Amino acid sequence: MAYTFSGGIHVEEYKNTRKCRIETLPPPRTVTIPLSQHIGAPAVATVIPGEEVTLGQKIGNVAEEMLGCPVHASVSGKVKEIIKKTLPTGATVDHVVIENDMKDTPCPDIKPIEKKLTDVSTEEIVSIIREAGIVGMGGAAFPTYAKINSALGKVDRIIINCAECEPFITANHRLLLEHPASVINGIKILLKALGVHTAWIAVEDNKQDAVEKLEELTEDSRMITVKVMKTKYPQGDERQLVYALTGQEIPTGKLPADVGCVIFNAETCAAVYKAFANGTPSISRVVTVDGDCVRHPKNLLVPVGTPVSDLVEFCGGLSKEPYKLVSGGPMMGMAQWDPEMSVTKSTSAVLLFSERFGKKNVKVPTCIHCGRCVNHCPMHLMPMYIAQFSKIGDFKRAEDYGAMNCVECGSCSYNCPGGVEIVQHIRVAKAAIKTEKARLASLNAQK
Amino acid sequence: MDNQEKIPEESGRRKKTPKTYSMPPFLTVSPSPHIRSADSTTTVMLNVLIALCPAFLWGIYVFGIRALVLVLISVVSCIVWEAAAQFLLKRPVTVGDLSAAVTGMLLGMNLPVTAPLWMPVVGGFFAIVIVKQLFGGIGKNFVNPALAARVFLFSWASSMSLFPAAGEKVTSLAVNLAETDVVAGATPLAALKTGVLPDTNLFGMIVGNMTGCIGEVSSLLLVAGGVYLLVQKIITWQIPVAYIGTVALLTFLFPQSNGIAYEFMLYEIFSGGLLLGAIFMATDYSTSPVTPVGRLIFGAGCGAITVLIRYFGAYPEGVSFSILIMNLLVWYIDKVTMPRRFGGKTNGKTER
Repeated sequence: MAYTFSGGIHVEEYKNTRKCRIETLPPPRTVTIPLSQHIGAPAVATVIPGEEVTLGQKIGNVAEEMLGCPVHASVSGKVKEIIKKTLPTGATVDHVVIENDMKDTPCPDIKPIEKKLTDVSTEEIVSIIREAGIVGMGGAAFPTYAKINSALGKVDRIIINCAECEPFITANHRLLLEHPASVINGIKILLKALGVHTAWIAVEDNKQDAVEKLEELTEDSRMITVKVMKTKYPQGDERQLVYALTGQEIPTGKLPADVGCVIFNAETCAAVYKAFANGTPSISRVVTVDGDCVRHPKNLLVPVGTPVSDLVEFCGGLSKEPYKLVSGGPMMGMAQWDPEMSVTKSTSAVLLFSERFGKKNVKVPTCIHCGRCVNHCPMHLMPMYIAQFSKIGDFKRAEDYGAMNCVECGSCSYNCPGGVEIVQHIRVAKAAIKTEKARLASLNAQK
Repeated sequence: MDNQEKIPEESGRRKKTPKTYSMPPFLTVSPSPHIRSADSTTTVMLNVLIALCPAFLWGIYVFGIRALVLVLISVVSCIVWEAAAQFLLKRPVTVGDLSAAVTGMLLGMNLPVTAPLWMPVVGGFFAIVIVKQLFGGIGKNFVNPALAARVFLFSWASSMSLFPAAGEKVTSLAVNLAETDVVAGATPLAALKTGVLPDTNLFGMIVGNMTGCIGEVSSLLLVAGGVYLLVQKIITWQIPVAYIGTVALLTFLFPQSNGIAYEFMLYEIFSGGLLLGAIFMATDYSTSPVTPVGRLIFGAGCGAITVLIRYFGAYPEGVSFSILIMNLLVWYIDKVTMPRRFGGKTNGKTER
């Protein structure tokens, strides 16, 4: 039985790399590691320029009581400098530049947890995960330890999100095929941490080979089940995921934990397992390198902080004039201006597109009121009305029409025959509504 | 500066492999999504034109060469009016999206073959300049341009209601037809209006052996066009089904003749512009609701008003007026049929 949701779209999949084994990128000469690769407070550098660092050494830390997690060196070598640079998400934070000495001297602190899983307490697991700097590797980069803490006692099941509904990306798919055991072991650790007995691995039905592999490995497990969902975008959105599997809608403004679910990314689980089995912190990840400009699209295991240009070079260079560099999937990923952008813990894909790729042949963007956005909106909104109100600056009515419910999946813009940037208009409205609310709140506070 | 220094070095290193491009120092940023479906306004309109073709060709076959000329004049004049209006209003000229061609095609197919050749030009002006461009262009018109123009052309009522007898071809290309050029006939609807079942047989009507406007005679080919649009996902089923269903129900329950109710119902459905209106005109994007429920309401409203006008109005035909009236309600229908939000509780109210 396949699970699904209402609305959404069938996008061209472009999963060119589904058969590409994960290859390890040759060690980069320098890495530029952002000190904020997570939601929350940026880490503060614990190293100074000129200092020698070892592989896996902590180079940035966040105070215990604040949301955030430490950052580790992904190569061994010498700290060249600490610079201010723009993150893929747009914020400007400190980056630690490390020159690789190619020795991979391991950090002496890294050692496996030599305890049986049954003997480890929740607090210990949470602290190990925090110290390993593990964040949600699907894209949101929410610190995993904080997610566990917020879900403790509230949830009765874990959902492992392997929908990978974005076109092009196959990083999770390959991980499930090549390292299913580490994912499953990671799930067991998370089950133990949360004290729950049900885990669902949710996979879209375009990954049958991974489904078979996982089913084989979880045959004996009474706790872990594989759930196959229909391939439809945005199945990987947590609201649609929970709805497809449980039939429950997460109420507006609430979290999956409020309906008893907590969602982890597959690679996050693998990272949790690595932190236990080897003590390795989160310093590398699988990245899909693809797009019509990339000569040989590949899946690569990349140290965090590697510049994108190194990845492209390893993939045979560019076969077309590049126009856009997208960090993440083509539907929700962000276009980057900087070809030296660093890979972070949440960069699931690096895509390079030529100028004409994916463009719509529309001269003047105009809404023709066709209603496709309405019929495809997974949040059941009327996107074109919100966009129109946003365009004329009527943010009050944009809010009345549900602008704040928008998850920015892009289904509306993708389908719009008029070529209207619907999501972007809605984003503008959301930002304006938030600013206005903050302004009103501060006014009220003054009174 | 850094970047400028790096480029020559990089391109020098990569020269070994031919046809390899280097990264520019800056890339273009744009909002997501970065891929789009291939559908555009042009492909949508092209599909509508394709769907109209079978019924149009049948119209030429039944009514003769004049039908082709009338429709061509209509299409060309609509395109010219659109380009001229956009040029004068200093807007980008977008006749390439084919929406003006669709309006022209529909307007032409809604004329009787006997109409003077200047009529589609005047109608095109009203449709494109007055109804469409002056209200902001495509997507902003508040009523269907082709239908508004058709109703505007009823100002010349005698020309608009002169139909050739069934099977009569009109070959004259004179601007105004002389009396001798055409053997006038009554449309089945005119007969139904008087409470008499028309003498045309039902099967002939479905195939298209009757008289009427150029594009409305062959029910079979109109439905075929509708099925094509449904398959291409240009239209949804709600409006045509609700529209025709309502007409069927009302005419079945309250037949206006002594004949058998279902026979009267079938004559009502297959005569006049009902199918052309329900499939091609009521489903016009700009002037129809966007929600499935809204579309059902819209279709049912069109159906009810059509029957009311056919029964009690001065004109035998009610399709044009009913769609125009419902067009005006689209904004409200959209508003009251706002879908229940995912994760929300109430209809349309913001949860705070």
